[in-house]
Amino acid sequence: MAVITVDKLCKRYTGGAAPAVSDVSFTVADREFMVLLGPSGCGKSTVLRMIAGLEPITSGTVSIDGRIMNQVPAKLRDIAMVFQSYALYPHMTVYENLAFGLRRRSVAQAEVARRVHAAAGKLGLAEFLKRKPHALSGGQRQRVALGRAIVRDPKVFLFDEPLSNLDAALRVTTRNELIKQQREIGTTSIYVTHDQVEAMTMGHCICIMNQGQVVQMGRPLEVYRNPADTFVAKFLGNPPMNLLQGRLEAQDGRAVVRFAGSAVALPKRTASSLDRNVGGDVIIGIRPEDLYETPPAGGAAEITRLPARVIAVEPLGAETLLLVALDASKDELIARIGRETTLKTGDRLDIALDTAAVHLFDPGTTKAIV
Amino acid sequence: MATQARFGFEQLRRVPLVLFVLLYTLVTGGPFLWVAAMSLRTTAEIFKAPYGLPAPAHWEKFVDAWTKSNYGTYFWNSTFVVVIAVALVTVIGAMAAHCLARYNFRGGRLVRFLILSGLVLPPQLLILALFQILLDINLYNTLTGLVLVYVATHIAMTVYILEGFFAQIPQDLFDAARMDGYSDFEIFWRVTMPIGAPAVFTAVTLNFIILWNEFLFAVVLLTDDEKRTLPLGIMHFTGSHQLDVGMAATGLMIAILPIIVIYAFFSETMIKGMTAGAVR
Repeated sequence: MAVITVDKLCKRYTGGAAPAVSDVSFTVADREFMVLLGPSGCGKSTVLRMIAGLEPITSGTVSIDGRIMNQVPAKLRDIAMVFQSYALYPHMTVYENLAFGLRRRSVAQAEVARRVHAAAGKLGLAEFLKRKPHALSGGQRQRVALGRAIVRDPKVFLFDEPLSNLDAALRVTTRNELIKQQREIGTTSIYVTHDQVEAMTMGHCICIMNQGQVVQMGRPLEVYRNPADTFVAKFLGNPPMNLLQGRLEAQDGRAVVRFAGSAVALPKRTASSLDRNVGGDVIIGIRPEDLYETPPAGGAAEITRLPARVIAVEPLGAETLLLVALDASKDELIARIGRETTLKTGDRLDIALDTAAVHLFDPGTTKAIV
Repeated sequence: MATQARFGFEQLRRVPLVLFVLLYTLVTGGPFLWVAAMSLRTTAEIFKAPYGLPAPAHWEKFVDAWTKSNYGTYFWNSTFVVVIAVALVTVIGAMAAHCLARYNFRGGRLVRFLILSGLVLPPQLLILALFQILLDINLYNTLTGLVLVYVATHIAMTVYILEGFFAQIPQDLFDAARMDGYSDFEIFWRVTMPIGAPAVFTAVTLNFIILWNEFLFAVVLLTDDEKRTLPLGIMHFTGSHQLDVGMAATGLMIAILPIIVIYAFFSETMIKGMTAGAVR
């Protein structure tokens, strides 16, 4: 049972012009798995290290179960951390690596052995207990690092990009393994990554950071469907959301965006709800999966067609990515279409847009217009 | 044909290198073998034929040197001074190197500069001051005094060797140990020292060899015969009034034995430690 509360956390390094982390606040509920997602250098690892007690806090508080931890040394916080580099002690065997933290906590020898063997069994490491880390593969090392956290049975798990040193195939299996373990054990966890696939698949909740600040928090699909600003819109989703310049107008009480020579009525929006932005410039966001070569049959979607020319076709097997340039504005869009397409570079098409899925952002603040 | 020609050319290119290595081995190994031969011959035999072979070999000279010429005492004095000095300089130097490599603290660069500046100071510069200080604290002409001087003068090199290596140990390991509940002092002993073992062995071996052969400080700071270390003892045979070349050679072989043993055991780790530190 552990609830982590981070309140107005700031970190400023001496000599640093801008704070590395500013005003970060969030709460991770008991047994919840939260993912801190953001590009390199956005301050997410710094937040994690402040929670761990490895980095002094400039201002703000970190509390676990209501107890403020700012002055509590790392070793007394009852937190286990898995590092990107795994940080296995090279001079110790797997067994000793797993037992190292328990021995410091004066756990009885028999209990150490029992817990180490239990964790090793659970992670498929039983046959490697006598090996040194250099004699293990990347995936095995990663499991030892995870095991070292598990044996301690801590209040909180912290993960600092633990999968980024693994190759793609291993990353997927280890990711599933990690999710399974966390769900079984149910320890409150914070997981730092710059990989949006990990964030989408692993977390109960995503917290997206940029330039030291929290940009958006929420359930993964909720954040994906309703990005708070253009940064989140571009960061979450692969390929990222298409962003175009346009103009918002009112027509017969309906909101209409004009871009690329077309006027697109927004079915879900009324002009009145967008009052403040009517008559002004907007940024239009379109997810690649909301563009179609041929619109889905029998769908209730309102479709607008935009004349365009194919610039590139990228068949990925299960699907095909299409890069098209709109005739009217020369804006380039990426569309995720069916694998059965016969389009070639240079072909013309009227690409279909599901108007219900159009996102609007304020060009000044880059925030979503809702 | 072409490959054969190239093979011949490659071999030809190696000739100067092989010649150089042979010459170098002759220059360094030759005198050693010569002294080794002399250590088994009497002075009279040596004067008759300086480059002769040890036939018959006088193995009893080693026993004589040990029992009659006070070599036993010199040997134990050297062992006492060098073992304690090397142990102290290794522990103190490793702690200093760990701090400099691991912690950012105000004045850290100045501390590093001051410690490492000890590398460039010639020992002759320190002799007068050390002599006076040891007199003042009643440690002149004592082995303890010599131990302290050895520790002080070899901290710089030890820190230099160890810091480079320690700085390469990933920070994550230290963070992991902190998360595992260990204090800074425990981390030094349980993480830095075992992982830095190759560099520590390098420092131990180098310090041991240098201090075992150290002459200048010993000759100035020790006066009693029963306190002399081995290098002073050997000099005893080649004093101004006598020249017992045969016995001096035997003494040299006794003196060099521990070095050979240490080097034989640790040379590989030592080279590993030196090259690892070099690519910082």
